[in-house]
Amino acid sequence: MNPDHLLLTIFLAVAIVFPLIPLAMAWAWARLFSPAKPGNDKQSSYECGIESAGPAHVQFQSHYYLYALVFLVFDVETVFLMPFAAAFLNLPFSAFLALMVFLLLLVEGLVWAWAKGILAWK
Amino acid sequence: MTNLLLALAPESLLVLAALVVLGLGVSVPKARSLITAATLLGGFAAAAAILLLPVDGNFLHGMVVVDPVARMFKLVILGLGLVAVVFASDSFPEIHFAESLALILFGTVGMMLLTGTEDLLMIFIALELASIPLYILAAFAKEGRSSAEAGLKYFLIGSLSAAFLLYGLSLIYGVTGSTNLPIISNHSGIPDPLLIAGIVLTLAGFAFKVAAVPFQLWAPDVYEGAPTAVASLVASGSKVAGVFILAKILAIGLGPWAGSAGWGQFLPGWVPVLALMAAASVILGNLAALVQSNVKRLLAYSAIAHGGYLLIGLCSTGEDSLTAVLFYVVIYALTTAGAFGTVVIVEKQRGGSSLEDFDGLAKSSPVLALCLLVFLISLAGIPPFVGFFGKFYLFTAALANPALLWLVILAIAMNAVSLYYYLIVLKHAFVLPAKEDLRPANAPASRFLVAALALSVLALGLAPNLLLAPLAKNMPPQISARKVFLQ
Repeated sequence: MNPDHLLLTIFLAVAIVFPLIPLAMAWAWARLFSPAKPGNDKQSSYECGIESAGPAHVQFQSHYYLYALVFLVFDVETVFLMPFAAAFLNLPFSAFLALMVFLLLLVEGLVWAWAKGILAWK
Repeated sequence: MTNLLLALAPESLLVLAALVVLGLGVSVPKARSLITAATLLGGFAAAAAILLLPVDGNFLHGMVVVDPVARMFKLVILGLGLVAVVFASDSFPEIHFAESLALILFGTVGMMLLTGTEDLLMIFIALELASIPLYILAAFAKEGRSSAEAGLKYFLIGSLSAAFLLYGLSLIYGVTGSTNLPIISNHSGIPDPLLIAGIVLTLAGFAFKVAAVPFQLWAPDVYEGAPTAVASLVASGSKVAGVFILAKILAIGLGPWAGSAGWGQFLPGWVPVLALMAAASVILGNLAALVQSNVKRLLAYSAIAHGGYLLIGLCSTGEDSLTAVLFYVVIYALTTAGAFGTVVIVEKQRGGSSLEDFDGLAKSSPVLALCLLVFLISLAGIPPFVGFFGKFYLFTAALANPALLWLVILAIAMNAVSLYYYLIVLKHAFVLPAKEDLRPANAPASRFLVAALALSVLALGLAPNLLLAPLAKNMPPQISARKVFLQ
């Protein structure tokens, strides 16, 4: 047998057994030591939280989703501006130009959304 | 730096044009002709940049690679994008008109970038840039159920294929240690099982893009449901870019692991996978097209079949097989764009694209019917139109490996089947009478363009060397002669 395959087989066996051990221990603990006390509280979805009210599939304004998209413009912008600002003095002019192009693309998106009236809450 | 900017000038100009068009859409949303003119102007500026600034070279370690063949394909894709713009300008609704044209431009930029790179990362980014605008555009007629369905299906299946592709590319990178295609091909030797998995996943990702069986399920629904102008771009520009980059990856990057699919000469590699997909596409595409009642759906199945023919060309190790594949994909794109243009006009006139809507087309608009005849006969591969020469070159190039004869015989037999469904469309257009008299639709630009495309199909049929000679002359040596290692 190829030693690589042997290693893989051992690895696979350990990977299967490893999660089974705590599961088996928990099961054994429950069977041997814990008293059986079934009740309504144990059936609730959040044992330690408040009782959930109403259905989970609530409809919400699709506007939130557009807002989130536009927010992403600022978010992504910041992520790229931060390292740029930190290294600003050591960067060549072309880097400045490249970032301005990037800003232009994002700003155009924002201006477009604004002009289309997406930012007005209806 | 300056050279890089010059090499990317066509794409930059197109992006700039798209931004201007978006701005126009906000400031003067009603000025349709102005918006269309600005879009076309941007396209012409980009075309001028391709023609007048021939900066060839390899920039940023293969991220951007421009050579004569890449420039030719950028021009072809740009042309197909502008064809879609004209069709859209005649058929798209008033609402979000500028945005739709800007999206076509963005998609075209992605396809153009795709032809000019030899790096896996750039290939993936360009592919996404080409795909995402097309997802949006496919769902653009969002009031209609079928368009929303087309958009969603295209998006979900496209994302799935992107995941396959990304996983495959990452495995290839993991095994070979590089994302650069020429460097990847230097990693020869016994193929690693991991590398084989990577190659197969990459092939699956691209098979979605070119709609090869068994990854073809999205094509009929998207072609039928998407606005017809968008379907023309999906069928032409997207196909050209997809086939071009697939050929490049296979020939330059994965050449050492080709294998062979010859009858009795089976060798493991990507060629047998490709050959099986080609055979399945040719059979399923042509047989399923027989029973379609919608012309767009019929063209979708014909696209699947043509994807199969193209894959046959990629299976061959012949010296000019790639020239033949690239020639065929260009002429197929021209022809199918023209056929979709005919559908755009008929849809505008009769409100649908089923076979019955083509009844009596020869009476109401004889020139349009004649153009349709040229396109469909060319797709069926009958001389004197260019489709015949394309198939002829493709199949002779494939026969450079005589053991591929089984695949070629299958393709030719299935091609005979295809004649039947093309003729059914022509029967509706030329023989059957129209149920009601309708005046011709007012779409002068599309009509002109369809006629021009029909003329180009005819001209290339009479003188295929116009396109074939420059293609063969400029084919880079590392593409035309694939390294073949037989272990």
